[in-house]
Amino acid sequence: MTSQTINLKGLMFIVADPNPYFSRIVVGLLRSFGANNIAEVRNSFDAIRTLNGQKVDILLCDEKLPPHGGLQVAHAIRKKKDNDNRTVPILIMAGDTRESIVKIARDAGANMVIAKPLSPASLYDRLTWIAFNPRQFIDTATYFGPDRRFKVEPIPDGVGQRKGDKTEAPPAPSSAPTSPAMAQNEIDTLFKPARTG
Amino acid sequence: MADKRTDDTNSFLVDTYFQKMARRSGGIPREQALENAQFAIDKIRLGFGDWLDAESDALIAEIRKGTMASPGDVRWAEAALTHARQIRDVGTTMGFELVSFITNNLCEMFEAIITGASPRNEMINCHIDALLLAKQEQYRHLRPEQLPELSGGLRRILEVANNPAVATEK
Repeated sequence: MTSQTINLKGLMFIVADPNPYFSRIVVGLLRSFGANNIAEVRNSFDAIRTLNGQKVDILLCDEKLPPHGGLQVAHAIRKKKDNDNRTVPILIMAGDTRESIVKIARDAGANMVIAKPLSPASLYDRLTWIAFNPRQFIDTATYFGPDRRFKVEPIPDGVGQRKGDKTEAPPAPSSAPTSPAMAQNEIDTLFKPARTG
Repeated sequence: MADKRTDDTNSFLVDTYFQKMARRSGGIPREQALENAQFAIDKIRLGFGDWLDAESDALIAEIRKGTMASPGDVRWAEAALTHARQIRDVGTTMGFELVSFITNNLCEMFEAIITGASPRNEMINCHIDALLLAKQEQYRHLRPEQLPELSGGLRRILEVANNPAVATEK
């Protein structure tokens, strides 16, 4: 994906995941990458409380974070106009990577989705991608977050918002398997904007 | 900085503190970072066997509750799903790909039960037997493709569990 170097020293990370063992792995990886300021939370209440109460530089959040789910956390952060963390990069960690889930995450304002189980390389590369690709943000009455337009080949002009893009609060994802899981490179494609202007 | 796209839509470039600071020089190069990460994982892996045993026991206990639950009571499946997810989400990172594969199948079965499918105990039990096997020293570092009969069989069971009509078609 990239071979650029990132400097994570001094940046405030929040790792929001209910599984202490998984969280320990993520914290271990982030420390290996040079991060030295990492807080862990286990539920959505603590995630939102932390994001409302202090400056956070990046949020890594489980898609199933109980009780509300990580996508509701992302939506809550993006919609709160007076929150200093409103534009914070949000990386959703998802065990369920069906296309419908990934699209809901994007519509909730996530910068990126990373598939669980994660590898050190996939985490480093996605953090690098976020760091080196500042995003255009969109502010409308019903959506605030990174520009969701992306290249849709072979549609003429190659740029546009998909018809199915949601603009309201993210719906609760259905648990019933309806489509195959997406590979990480397919997920990445959904988050790469076609243009920045 | 903002540019007006339509009457009610603002578009503006966001270069966050994270992005600006992460692009500073002096970071850990990718190759070094990944080497450090492998070392960190090796340290964390030391306690993984005990954690996996505890989570597997908790998963099996919830499944037992399911055999005694009233029809329509899916609380056991929700609890079992939590444990199966926890195992699945760390298994591959810890080098236990077969364990992640089996628990991913279990996750799909529990999700189906939560949304109204009838529990198929024999199919769940097949996966639990496979999980107990996959935890053993001689199997734990194998990948699903290295045990094609086992993984193919479990895939087939999942296919039938998700779509009972498949069993009669083939």
